[in-house]
Amino acid sequence: MQPSPLANPLAAVAQLETSGSRLDGIPQDLEDSVRYAGARLTQAAGVLLRLPQEVIAQAIIVFMRFWVGAEGGSLAEFGAGQVSASSLCLVTKLSAYPKSARSLVNVYAYLDAFPLPPMHTEPKEGKAEMYYVSEGTYERRRASLFETEQRILKTLGFQVQANLPYTLCITYMQALDVFTHPRVSELAKRAIAHLNTALLSPQLLYLTHQPPSLAIAAIYLAAREAGIKLPEAEWWEVFDTDREELGFLCVGFLSTEGFAEQEKERWAGRRVPLTVEEVNAEIKRRNEESDA
Amino acid sequence: MASRWADDEADKAEALRRKQDKEEKKRLKLQKQQQAGEAARAAKEASERPAKRRRLSNSEDATTEDTARTPKDPEKERKLLRFEGGRWAPCHHRSNFETLNHIEEGSYGWVSRAKDIATSQVVALKKVKMDYNQDGFPITALREIAILQKARHPNIVDLKEVVSGDTTEECVLVMEFLEHDLKTLQEDMHDPFVASEVKTLLRQLAGGVAFLHDNYIMHRDLKTSNILLNNRGQLKLADFGMARYIPPPSAPLTQLVVTLWYRAPELLLGTPNYGTEVDMWSMGCVMGELLLKTPVLPGTNEVDQLSRIFSLCGLPEEKSWPGFWRLPNAPSLKLPRGQRNKQSFDRTRFPFLSGAGVELLSSLLSLNPDDRPTAKAVLEHDYFREQPKPKPSEMFPTFPSKAGQEKRRKQSPHAPKRGDAPGLGKVDFSSIFSAQEEGEKGAGFMLKMA
Ligand SMILES: Nc1ncnc2c1ncn2[C@@H]1O[C@H](COP(=O)(O)OP(=O)(O)O)[C@@H](O)[C@H]1O
Ligand SMILES: [Mg+2]
Repeated sequence: MQPSPLANPLAAVAQLETSGSRLDGIPQDLEDSVRYAGARLTQAAGVLLRLPQEVIAQAIIVFMRFWVGAEGGSLAEFGAGQVSASSLCLVTKLSAYPKSARSLVNVYAYLDAFPLPPMHTEPKEGKAEMYYVSEGTYERRRASLFETEQRILKTLGFQVQANLPYTLCITYMQALDVFTHPRVSELAKRAIAHLNTALLSPQLLYLTHQPPSLAIAAIYLAAREAGIKLPEAEWWEVFDTDREELGFLCVGFLSTEGFAEQEKERWAGRRVPLTVEEVNAEIKRRNEESDA
Repeated sequence: MASRWADDEADKAEALRRKQDKEEKKRLKLQKQQQAGEAARAAKEASERPAKRRRLSNSEDATTEDTARTPKDPEKERKLLRFEGGRWAPCHHRSNFETLNHIEEGSYGWVSRAKDIATSQVVALKKVKMDYNQDGFPITALREIAILQKARHPNIVDLKEVVSGDTTEECVLVMEFLEHDLKTLQEDMHDPFVASEVKTLLRQLAGGVAFLHDNYIMHRDLKTSNILLNNRGQLKLADFGMARYIPPPSAPLTQLVVTLWYRAPELLLGTPNYGTEVDMWSMGCVMGELLLKTPVLPGTNEVDQLSRIFSLCGLPEEKSWPGFWRLPNAPSLKLPRGQRNKQSFDRTRFPFLSGAGVELLSSLLSLNPDDRPTAKAVLEHDYFREQPKPKPSEMFPTFPSKAGQEKRRKQSPHAPKRGDAPGLGKVDFSSIFSAQEEGEKGAGFMLKMA
């Protein structure tokens, strides 16, 4: 009668209805953009720090959890860059790959140079960890890193752990007997890619659905795209997911890709505001634009 | 088109309205949350009360106290809900609890007994010591919390929530309160536990440890002061300050774990990769301590610890413990050669223990970690099947609770801290047995530093 070790705490409906940022008057589309960019920043920083995807994914989930609900963090108080760095800091502490404040500060300083956090960084850009910041800057950022870490812990009531769908995804594929298929590695790659994209979803799919359902939706979509046949029967029900949830998740996965495209165009050549000052400046700019 | 001035005014009004709106929303939200929280607590209280002293009339089976509850038990269902569909919310404040008395000041924090003001429920509060260092929020505290959140089991102390204090650093674990820890309890008891009671305790201990190991968690600091007992005979593991997930093979681990008296020989000898077997060794030490009502291997330092171990368990040999000589600190040991019969367990120290009991204890205290049984295997051991059978938990005697009333003394060694360097120097054990043969008891013999 123990609770499933695979279950995650999910966002309550009330938490999804509003956010700290919206209560502070930050437009929802701006919050969506910043959250998306912050999640990508976390992914990019994680790769530069040579962290396994499981660790990066947990950091992104912590980052996403932080903002939801009336009691969530607000962009008027916290920069997304700062919360991203502290999320990674926290999650790596609980992993087998703790990272020093120095490495974190340097990598984020390095990534500062990109307008929209890069989608694909290579860990061989190992220089990022050695990126130079002045001692004064370092001290300030380190202090902010740990201060924000505290705030994340308290905002989430110390719920900073998350189970992930990656291993499940492989297990389910085995159970579905697709491992004998000649193109199974293509299937697996596509499914994992969907899971990674969904981490960035503006619909916060990892905060609203349990890992088994996420894994199933990823396999379902990947199989359809790769033209690989899965059992005719409603196999997803074996894994505790109903058709409705599967459908919802598939739409959610695909719309994240559309959202990503749209964001790229929207911010072409401009910086997504990842600090409090930048967010304020963006709001001011918008107000002036609508005045003109 | 409106003038700039008018715009400004409108903006200000709008900003003010928004601010008020926001404050009102936050207030309502908080109020709602508090109401929900109180309702939940009240519901929980109500569901706990009748279940409290449920007796299982003819059950011989002691550890099933919890598992034998029907699945419809409201408390269980609520738990399931909490973790199946759990959610997160900001930490409550420490001021929701009223301190009743201090229990203990340990190596990592302060523990006190307190009352949840809203529900009158008695809980234990453990304040985490915040050695603010170069690394921000202490990794050990983070691990302790994370592992307790995952380790939900009838034989593991229940972490209810983490609350924040007045300073940003203050952080307090709210746990269910248990009346005793086994160390303090035994110090106050007149006679040792009887055989059936030792079995009840040991089986619950093995149950908790088996759950941990199944979930890839090593406790790494099992000892009587970290094992709690309530007045319903239920035993629960506590103090996960040293615990961690079993890392991928080959990752080096710190050997600075487990309080000296309960520390496995491979740790003392500096092994870089150890596993759940270190907990099994500690379990052996706890079993012996429950039988004798006093610690079995109270070493004064690493060298003394090893010599006590060797005199109780015999000397290590290449045959019984292959690879022993390759452990980092082994070459500095000088062991007597050609001694016969010295590798066997000294059962004379446990004169009242049955054959099966000695078999279990000596296997837990095997020098070679591979020879120790797993916690699951312990649960299956004949020791629990032979007479006397484990005493049902609900038949367990109750004891006055020190934790319920007063502050305690502290004397046994703490879990090791960073900076205590492992490594033994050169140590000569060749005199161990001759010293003993000359009539010296236990580990009172001399050790030479060669
Ligand atoms: N939940 C609890 N109920 C009652 N007493 C407790 C509880 N948790 C801890 N204690 C008491 O406090 C002592 C110290 O707690 P512990 O968690 O072991 O902290 P430390 O890491 O400081 O050793 C224990 O030995 C026990 O006596
Ligand atoms: Mg302790």
